[in-house]
Amino acid sequence: MPVDQHQAGKILNVEDLHKSFGSLEVIKGVGFDMDYQERLVLMGPSGSGKSTLVRCLNWIEPPTSGRVTFDGVLVDPKSTDIRRLREDIGMVFQQFNVFPHLTALQNVALGPVVVKKGNRTAAEAEAMELLAKVGLSHRAAYKPGQMSGGEQQRVAIARALAMHPKLMLFDEPTSSIDIELIHEVLEVMVKLADEGMTMIVVTHEMGFAREVADRVIFMDQGLIIESGTPKELFDHPQQERTQSFLSKVLMA
Amino acid sequence: MLKWSIIWENLPFLLAGAGTTLALTVVSMVFATAAGLLVGLLNMYGGKVVGAITRLYIEVVRGTPALLIILLVYYALPIVGINLPQFPAAAVSLAACYAAYIAEVFRAAVESIPKGQSEAAFSLGMSRLQALRFVILPQTFRRVLPPLANEFAALIKDTSLVAFISMQDLLFKAKIIGARTYNPMSPLIGAAIIYLLMTTPVMQWSRNLEKRVD
Repeated sequence: MPVDQHQAGKILNVEDLHKSFGSLEVIKGVGFDMDYQERLVLMGPSGSGKSTLVRCLNWIEPPTSGRVTFDGVLVDPKSTDIRRLREDIGMVFQQFNVFPHLTALQNVALGPVVVKKGNRTAAEAEAMELLAKVGLSHRAAYKPGQMSGGEQQRVAIARALAMHPKLMLFDEPTSSIDIELIHEVLEVMVKLADEGMTMIVVTHEMGFAREVADRVIFMDQGLIIESGTPKELFDHPQQERTQSFLSKVLMA
Repeated sequence: MLKWSIIWENLPFLLAGAGTTLALTVVSMVFATAAGLLVGLLNMYGGKVVGAITRLYIEVVRGTPALLIILLVYYALPIVGINLPQFPAAAVSLAACYAAYIAEVFRAAVESIPKGQSEAAFSLGMSRLQALRFVILPQTFRRVLPPLANEFAALIKDTSLVAFISMQDLLFKAKIIGARTYNPMSPLIGAAIIYLLMTTPVMQWSRNLEKRVD
């Protein structure tokens, strides 16, 4: 693996990020940073702003204010090519958002062909490899309507990986999946983590967080309440809000 | 009185008119669809000014009789130096008119695609145009076909308005036969049957498509 020139630094630095929808402030000044190859899990009750936060990182929701530095470059919406930034940040959505008019293979190959202007044959060959990686070689010619939620989400992961992102964002990737199929998605994510992918995962899957996360950040009402290793945060939460949230999640 | 012999004897004459009707419908529909797609997209993505201009165009045209637009293009445009022969004048008028309705068809179809689809396209680094071209519009295709087929059937009937600028379409030919034979009913009934033979299959096709989309 070639050593990136920023390898020693941070892949991501977020300072005082705010996001409002109209008069409603959803993120009220959030800051954190992230090492290359770090695995970060974001947790918090619904409405805590965790999904909005990850959606701000690739400008799907433009932040209202704050500073985001990605891969050594300060993101300035006036001068930064946001599309180029998005090529480097893969995103997996709660609702999969796979393209229903395309087969699994076409879903995965579309980004490289359209955005990177790659050769179609080469892109489809790589798409086949990525589908194999997420365990879906046998579904290459299927359309999303013919696949289970777990399979669609794995197609979505392969689609994001096809752009060779430096950072992967997972926004509640298993929340819309039938409970008996969640493990197939989590297994793929664990595999990615083992390969050294830098990732931010919004999830309530405690098992996944314990196994994979280097750090867990707990958010509530638009602010980071506390963060630490899974062991620290889950076994010895310092803040009352974290304790009460964890007790509810563990009850479920 | 209805005399089938009058329809039968003048059938080639009527069918020539039906040919004009059909040709005008197809040409107008092609331009109306292209223009309607463009106007619809500009209305949604053109920004404030272009959005307002296209909205004005859509509302003005939808609130104005098609016949008035035909008369305007054929009789008023020559005053400002634009002289169009009958067929192009009729085609331009009908296309301009139907483009407004078809723009709304495309707008409704694009807006019916979940927001997550364009978000997923953007997250891959696609531009708005790329997202439209490769992700959104292909998904609208099946949704716009039934309403477009309905517009096509409506257009077949609306082409009869060109009789007002003396174009010899199906209706005009029927009126000529009526005047010549002193029997207006027979050729008009004949024309009605021919119109029905053209519109019914289109509307049936539209219904079948709708069923398949559901």
